[in-house]
Amino acid sequence: MSAVRKIWKFISSMRFAIALLAVLAVVCSVGSLITQGQDYAWYAQRYPERTAALILALHLDDAFHSWWFILINAFLCLNLLLCNVLRLPRLIARTRAAADPRSALRTAGEVRVEGLPAPEEALRRLRMPKPARGTTEDGRAYLFAGKHRAGLWGAWVCHLGILMLIAGFSLGQMTRETYVVYGVPGQTRPIGDTGYLLAIDDFRVDLREDDTVEQYTAEITVYNPAAGADSALSAALSVNNPASLFGMKFYQNSTGWAATVSVSENGEPLQEEIVCAGEYLRVSDKPDLVIDFNAFYPDYVQSPGSRPATASGRLNNPAYLYSVYYQEQMIGMNVLMADEALTIDDYTVAFSAPQSYTLIQIKKDRFTSLALAGGLVTMLGLLLAFYIQPSAVWAVQSEDGLWTLHGSSRKGGALFRERVLRAAGVDPANHKSENEDMKDAPN
Amino acid sequence: MLQIENALFTIVMLAYFAAMILYFIFIAVKKDALARTAVILQCAGFALHTAALVCRGVGAGRLPLTNQYEFATCFAWGLCLVSLAFIFRYRFTVLGAFAAPVIFLIIGYAAMQSREVRELMPALRSNWLGFHVSTAIIAYGAFGVAFVLALIFLLRDRVKAESFLDQHIPNREKLDVIGYRSVSLGLLFLTFTIVTGAIWAERAWGSYWSWDPKETWSLVTWIIYAIYLHLRIRRGWQGRSAAIFAVVGFVCVIFTYIGVNTFLPGIHSYA
Repeated sequence: MSAVRKIWKFISSMRFAIALLAVLAVVCSVGSLITQGQDYAWYAQRYPERTAALILALHLDDAFHSWWFILINAFLCLNLLLCNVLRLPRLIARTRAAADPRSALRTAGEVRVEGLPAPEEALRRLRMPKPARGTTEDGRAYLFAGKHRAGLWGAWVCHLGILMLIAGFSLGQMTRETYVVYGVPGQTRPIGDTGYLLAIDDFRVDLREDDTVEQYTAEITVYNPAAGADSALSAALSVNNPASLFGMKFYQNSTGWAATVSVSENGEPLQEEIVCAGEYLRVSDKPDLVIDFNAFYPDYVQSPGSRPATASGRLNNPAYLYSVYYQEQMIGMNVLMADEALTIDDYTVAFSAPQSYTLIQIKKDRFTSLALAGGLVTMLGLLLAFYIQPSAVWAVQSEDGLWTLHGSSRKGGALFRERVLRAAGVDPANHKSENEDMKDAPN
Repeated sequence: MLQIENALFTIVMLAYFAAMILYFIFIAVKKDALARTAVILQCAGFALHTAALVCRGVGAGRLPLTNQYEFATCFAWGLCLVSLAFIFRYRFTVLGAFAAPVIFLIIGYAAMQSREVRELMPALRSNWLGFHVSTAIIAYGAFGVAFVLALIFLLRDRVKAESFLDQHIPNREKLDVIGYRSVSLGLLFLTFTIVTGAIWAERAWGSYWSWDPKETWSLVTWIIYAIYLHLRIRRGWQGRSAAIFAVVGFVCVIFTYIGVNTFLPGIHSYA
């Protein structure tokens, strides 16, 4: 055998599949144990420097997108594909043979019971379909019943499902577009570079009596300015209830607090903007001066020596944590209450009108359906493989008029043999089978 | 209702404990009547356990499937259900003697968790919760039984021929097939769990697969059992090797359930 054929045979072999699955299990475990997506400094703080360097060198910081992870999956796909392609003709032949009494009559089956006066009762007890009758080449009468041929296709269908799943997931990873838009009701923001605009019409946070959140609901309108306002589509989004508009899927993803930040200069209003916590405002006529809105506490509490905190989600005692930067140097940081203002030279800064903002995730992935269909096909394959067990039972009449019952099942093993024996009225404990004392071959 | 559930839970623990002790005595004194009593006690414990879960569900006003306590008690319930199904289906009473300690350990773990009923966060308020978690319970229960069967398989060689246990434990080939049936059930339901979880995640988080530690370890568990299935059909790897993989698979199941929640926080951290 040439080297190429040997490699080809190995790639399509079950041994290779098992090795790939084992490697995949190991790398997935390692990928989950190492925090993903951090930089060298982060790893160096938690691991010895050499380990941190090794993590980055082996791409273990982004294991599930690394070239070697993709390579393992590519080999797995190739193995599954070859397995399915090479098995297809055999599978078709086996499916045909399973319905053909002549194929069964050529074999002895896994279990055999001799001396039955009437095999029909045994077939009925085994819940076999109505048997076909005929005569063998040497003129003896036979009965044949087979069922659940579809079960032969279980593994094949399962492999197909996994291939669809990996293909859908990989194509989705390569082509999908994701965007994030956040803001408060009344704001309109562009959706990345799609040309569409998203207007936030309303956003509600429904609280229960105990202050826990029951649901977040955003009402949005999406439109393309180039197509005119008539093309606008509106939808309500809440957690677990995304909306599909213009081929994009919109998710109510997250929320936070926003406030109106007002800046005045020598008592004259200068600037007023809605700023979300985590964002900053650059003073319009003094760009070196930046007000960073760090955090918001709707029900502010602080005991001496502890960090600022909120007692509830209700607006009982609003407070704003800010920091001020001038020429990129922090010049101050403090908590400002609702009725307080911050004075920096000629400028006065005040925070007011706190409200929840919504963060909406927008996704365009044409291959999600393929991946999910792959999952469903995999389930179907497993169902066929495990619970639709192909079996055949046949009986051949001897010259003395008695019948010999044979049974064959691909996955029933000892349990199937017992069923056949019981159906034939034989106690399995008194029937010695060739396979009963299974011995492990050395591994 | 929650008080009734608390009382029932204690009775259930006692019933499982008593069943376990009876199974042990059955093996020690070799009297079949004791095994029958142990099975009846396990059935009674299971019935009361079901009642306790119903009370919890009614008391909480939702399916009791959302926190460590609820999943642990459901896990023990699933393991009890599948083990009873296998005991009756395959007339294999000794299975109960090996399954009962595992059931008791898991319900003991549940007893150590907080039983406080909390309102659901918005992400958990979905009909998919029922499908996703209930299929996981059956999967974990089936893998628990597969683990127990694998242990019995590995211990089978040490059982003296013609002894009491030898007469009550199926031969190696039959054990292997019963173990395979259990893994099949578990793998099918784990696949349901992963697929329904993916569909739900797509709706709730906008991504059907995020390589979250819980997802990743479910996949690792799936792969381990897939290897088990492939090993079984490879000549020379049946029996002992496959049984070892069934044990490793259950270690992964336990890590996915407890280890991931404890050591690897992610978007499933509420579970």
